[in-house]
Amino acid sequence: MNETVYTPTSSFAEELAAIPGGEAVNKCIQCGICTASCAVARYSDEYRPRQLIQKILLGEREEVLKSTLPWLCMTCRLCEERCQEGVSPAEIFHAVRILAAREGHVPQSFRHVVSALIRDGWLLNDSYTDFEEDDREDLGLNTELGWNNEFLKRIKKLIPLEESE
Amino acid sequence: MREILLYTGCTTPVRLPAYEAATIAVLEKLGVKAREMTDVTCCGAQYIESISPTAFAAMSGRILAVAEKEGLDILAICGACSGSLKITKHELDHDKQLRDEINDILADEGLKYTGKVRVRHLLQVLAEDIGYETIERAIVKPYTGLKVSAHYGCHVTRPFDIVQVDDPENPTILDRLAEIAGAEAVDYAGKTRCCGGPMLAMDESLATKIGQEKVNNIADVGADVILTACEFCDIQLTQVQFDDNFDASRRIPVMPITQFLGPALGIDEERLGFSLNRIDPQEVLAALQGGQA
Repeated sequence: MNETVYTPTSSFAEELAAIPGGEAVNKCIQCGICTASCAVARYSDEYRPRQLIQKILLGEREEVLKSTLPWLCMTCRLCEERCQEGVSPAEIFHAVRILAAREGHVPQSFRHVVSALIRDGWLLNDSYTDFEEDDREDLGLNTELGWNNEFLKRIKKLIPLEESE
Repeated sequence: MREILLYTGCTTPVRLPAYEAATIAVLEKLGVKAREMTDVTCCGAQYIESISPTAFAAMSGRILAVAEKEGLDILAICGACSGSLKITKHELDHDKQLRDEINDILADEGLKYTGKVRVRHLLQVLAEDIGYETIERAIVKPYTGLKVSAHYGCHVTRPFDIVQVDDPENPTILDRLAEIAGAEAVDYAGKTRCCGGPMLAMDESLATKIGQEKVNNIADVGADVILTACEFCDIQLTQVQFDDNFDASRRIPVMPITQFLGPALGIDEERLGFSLNRIDPQEVLAALQGGQA
């Protein structure tokens, strides 16, 4: 009896498997417990984690890297907790995002936040107004938040960020 | 008094300062001084994390190294921050090449990561470092006849192998804390599901639907308040209740666990910031034995 289990794979799957977190992609048996567990899939017509992993296994490289679908994973890891094969769609889509970012495919919303982060060192600098300061003062909290806004500028070169796609 | 470094994250100080104040006050009452970290950056969760593993490790790694210089463990009160710091610590502890790379970057500022400090999420500090018994003894004004439902926050409890907080499939810390404070903890459908918060960047309407399902499931079991352990979840579960598609008569107050415990521990209400809660928690406070503080 031939005990070899047929697992579809592709050069794209191998490419992802080489990125930390992507290793488990070839262990997926396409059972679909990830999609069944997924809060996003419940309300989205397009986002199906099993299907997205299938596209990876089938080698649909350009389609997956250019798609916004891998950016819809909330990394809630409910699917990962339930997967019996040790596959983490969150980690796999994380590997996809890293590869996509290297090739300039980063959703606009992410790009905006990253630019603000590099500028300010933290996320809500623009939202911190006199009103919030007053609330903090009333609560007996410090009003000088003391964020470091130098470090991100120093490591900026590590962050792939194309201005336009 | 034991001391711990509070890493607030970006969101709490601006959007939910009552959580920060209540956490400091409650921990102080229970014998832990939470001192706020300064000169740190965002942890890098989601945004930097998604596009540059090295920059992400540098951001969270720097926070760990700053704490190491102070010689104190870190207290994280946000699920995303606690996740980032714990995942980064795990990576730096297991990947020498990455650690060397990060330490090269940190050396410019005289910082170094060696792995000495621990990252503690608020739930660990309450349940493990302080302990249920100590908290129980400190309750002076328990709630009576109050039903609560807990929302734990995905990044607080998952991935368990790394974060080591509670049982990811059946978390109980918030429920136990609520019961110690005299309330009845009520389960609901989809308890360990996400609040939808991480979807806000990509699709706000989808994020809202996910959050509303959660609140509706909680409303179905008749809970009087939703308890949280992450400001991001807290804000999300609150704001979805102000959406046009949400039945306003079903609104349920949302409270971070420390704000909820505060009055039961006899902490002055002014330090707990109830007036800043978007959904009036008056009925929750009225359930305190002997009435409101």
